[in-house]
Amino acid sequence: MTESAKPLDPKTQSPDEESIPDMSNESRFSLSWQTLFAGAMFVFMYLPILILMVYSFNESAYSAGWEGFTLEWYRKLFGDPRILTALRNSVTVALCAVGVSAILGTLMAVGLARYQFFGKKLYQGIAYLPLIVPDIAIAVATLVFLAAVGIGLSLWTIVAAHIVFCLAYIAIAVSTRLADLDKHLEEAALDLGATPVQAFLQVLLPQLMPGIVSGCLIAFVLSMDDLLISSFTAGAGATTLPMEIFSRIRTAVKPDINALSVILITVSGILAFVAESLRYRSEQR
Amino acid sequence: MPPTQLHFDRPNLSRRRFLQGTAAVLSGLALSGCGWTLADVRTTVKTAADVLYIYTWAGYTDRDLLDRFTAETGIRAIADVFSSNEEMLAKLQAGAGGAYSIIYPSDYMVIKMRDRNLLTELDRSKIVGLDRLYDRFQNPEYDPGDRYSVPLSWGTTGLIYNSKVLDPPPKDWDYLWENQEALYKRMTLLNDPRETIGAVLRMLGYSYNTKDPKAIERAYEKLLELKPAIASFDSDAWRSRIITGDLTVAMCYSSDANEVIPENEDLRYVLPKSGSSLWMDTLVIPASAPNPDAAYAWINFMLQPEVAAEICQRLSFATPNEAAFELLPSEVQNNVTLFPPNPALQNSESLIPLGENVTSIYDRYWTRLTSG
Amino acid sequence: MSVSTKPPLSPNSPPDSGKTPLGQQWLGPVALLGPAGLWLVVLLVLPTLVIFEISLVPDIVPGMKVIPSGLDNYLLAFDPLYIKVIFRSLFFALGTTALCLLLGFPVAYWIAILAPSRWRNLLLMGFVLPLWTSSLLRAYAWVTILRPTGVLNTVLGSIGLPGLELIDRPSAVLIGMSYDFLPYMVLILYSSLEKLDRQLLEASADLGATPLETFWKITVPQTAPGIAAGSLLVFISSLGDFVDPELLGGTSSGTVARLIYNQFLGQSPNWGFGSALSTILILVVSVSIALLLKYGDRDTQP
Repeated sequence: MTESAKPLDPKTQSPDEESIPDMSNESRFSLSWQTLFAGAMFVFMYLPILILMVYSFNESAYSAGWEGFTLEWYRKLFGDPRILTALRNSVTVALCAVGVSAILGTLMAVGLARYQFFGKKLYQGIAYLPLIVPDIAIAVATLVFLAAVGIGLSLWTIVAAHIVFCLAYIAIAVSTRLADLDKHLEEAALDLGATPVQAFLQVLLPQLMPGIVSGCLIAFVLSMDDLLISSFTAGAGATTLPMEIFSRIRTAVKPDINALSVILITVSGILAFVAESLRYRSEQR
Repeated sequence: MPPTQLHFDRPNLSRRRFLQGTAAVLSGLALSGCGWTLADVRTTVKTAADVLYIYTWAGYTDRDLLDRFTAETGIRAIADVFSSNEEMLAKLQAGAGGAYSIIYPSDYMVIKMRDRNLLTELDRSKIVGLDRLYDRFQNPEYDPGDRYSVPLSWGTTGLIYNSKVLDPPPKDWDYLWENQEALYKRMTLLNDPRETIGAVLRMLGYSYNTKDPKAIERAYEKLLELKPAIASFDSDAWRSRIITGDLTVAMCYSSDANEVIPENEDLRYVLPKSGSSLWMDTLVIPASAPNPDAAYAWINFMLQPEVAAEICQRLSFATPNEAAFELLPSEVQNNVTLFPPNPALQNSESLIPLGENVTSIYDRYWTRLTSG
Repeated sequence: MSVSTKPPLSPNSPPDSGKTPLGQQWLGPVALLGPAGLWLVVLLVLPTLVIFEISLVPDIVPGMKVIPSGLDNYLLAFDPLYIKVIFRSLFFALGTTALCLLLGFPVAYWIAILAPSRWRNLLLMGFVLPLWTSSLLRAYAWVTILRPTGVLNTVLGSIGLPGLELIDRPSAVLIGMSYDFLPYMVLILYSSLEKLDRQLLEASADLGATPLETFWKITVPQTAPGIAAGSLLVFISSLGDFVDPELLGGTSSGTVARLIYNQFLGQSPNWGFGSALSTILILVVSVSIALLLKYGDRDTQP
């Protein structure tokens, strides 16, 4: 990126980093078994994705051999109402869940950074629990709970369940950003007569924006990718894209899934790039 | 999971906070009260009067069919799919079924759903065309008097195989055991306890509907013998895999076989000699149906001979509708995969529900087979 | 959740903060933490309590009164059949962890120490980028590659080598899971290796230690917390993985996640048993993370 590349995590950054002599040549890759191995691992990470991409243009529906270039699968894909409905459902769920979580998660992160109160540790423990507990457990708990209180499943129950984990991802991104911020700015605004709400909206929020956006992007991608929680909380007509893909991988006869993969991979690649560069830039400060 | 959450040393998730949080959650668990009822969710979800939600098998509807229905009735139909009767029932009981006004259970599941009060008794005066069905499909054993269900599609369960690889071709279920080594990881069986255990029971000379625990155990042991050679238990994924040649033989439903065969000319379907299950998929209206009028419209639509004949060809399933059968071109009428001649069906039987006790024996062996 | 009377902001916060009535002091915390807290209580805490309670009721079906009556569902988990499933899950998780460590360490080491420093961020970002693509599609890509007439065997066949039979076997599950979780391992090892004091490495080399000795005596002990954190994260993620065993594993790859799934949406639902398994899973995961945080990251705690 730039010549002043710094480590990703600001905490790990030792002040005299640049002064420590590097064991490697500063600007060149040296050929060693480690370089070769790392190169092989990069190939390993990207090869499956590349293969999906290449085969999405393969004329042959079934064989692994190459039988010519075609855009047929893309055409099929965009004419397929089931895929389009599932895509619409997924985007609706992700946008709603991320929208709500962006507000709740930001407020929560600010609240947690600002106040000390009895039970704060419990609050934090619970808020970040979805980061580590396997999806299947969250999915099951939500399903049983909804049954227990007698709420029928629908698209909105998926949204409600997705908010739980989106909240955690957004809050963690925001609080990382908060930790690096200058607290005095907001105080200065308050001293100058701004109301707490004004100070929050006009001073704090703009500063938090990179954190909020990168948190939202992560949450959006994860929500779009979720299979288990959606499967357990989806009602009639609320098939999401991963659910449709999962059922197609099993039932479909034609490989239009390959084309879909390429589109999804491209979109999430772009989102990933935006999020990573936002994070990178915000941590460079 | 994104990179940002991976740093355990972030300020937010410090060790002490986390430990205390966990401890508090655990102690909170002890507080839970008792004596409430786990709701049997049958809430009727309100759907618009011009929308019909359908819960069906994969491959039973397509866009043209739904569009044609909309064109004729002005009702928009939305189809969700399931891959086994049991999965469908589990979903309904989990509260995911409130919006459906039409469901497609198989014969034995109709009885099960009826016994759990999940079905609406059909108002025969609102249904046009039941008399177009063949006599032998009227007044069926699983639903005497057609009170709850309308037969839609019937078929058998057998083996689809690649005739280029398997020579001589399989004739019966025991072929799989005899050629276990040659077929190693090249075969799949249905992910359906009644069908798969039942087929082995039949092979061993018992009925599909036996209640004898010894017989079920023998069938289980026989399957256990075969298990290492089976690629997977699945009711769907065999399709593309047998077309590409990754599989040589798969246990499947006749209608699915008929759909797949045109994709690869080497594929053949065989109805096993010792017998097969004879299944019927039906249309029912759940008790919680939010839109019964649209449901009756769908039933009447599907009973129209032209519609039934058209989907019989396009979506490949055998219609029990005599008027529709007569509209079919002769090569479809003579398609023995779809419409096996009567003598071939001599050894076949329909599945009937076995009661809680026997079902739990099936479930136990099935879990042992598939999880163990 | 009670809020302490500690003033919300630092001493030189707005002049009127001391004069606000008691009710207003609550306003800030409640407005900030209340909505999210409420959501979490309703959709995370209560559900967890509910499955815990349901797990104490044997043979529960919807419509039944919930009267906790014992640990039968937990005892059922010790049935030899389910023990086998649990051990298989542990095997997959441990195998994946070992593979990721084996494959990930050299990569992280190379990026953090050997690669030109200006490239490091880009290289790391490049390595974890595949994490952003759908896990379902990544597993599906492996199906495309590993199936008997798939890409791998087509390539092997065209250069005259015999084909490999990997799919529908545990080996395919291990491949798929390692592929899925390798970036986590590299990411965490990287942040640990990057903190490694390079002068120690040089000193060790100057004192005549072979590279291998330096590796075992300096690098590994210094990065132990990172190794522990990375391993645990991969272990937990693969323990709860559903998609890879499902798509790649065939008949003998039933894992705990699938077992839990079956208790709710499978052939023979048993909500009580499924809830018990989920409770066990949540506990195992929480306790192991707690242990890691307690013992694993001393050096990163202020």
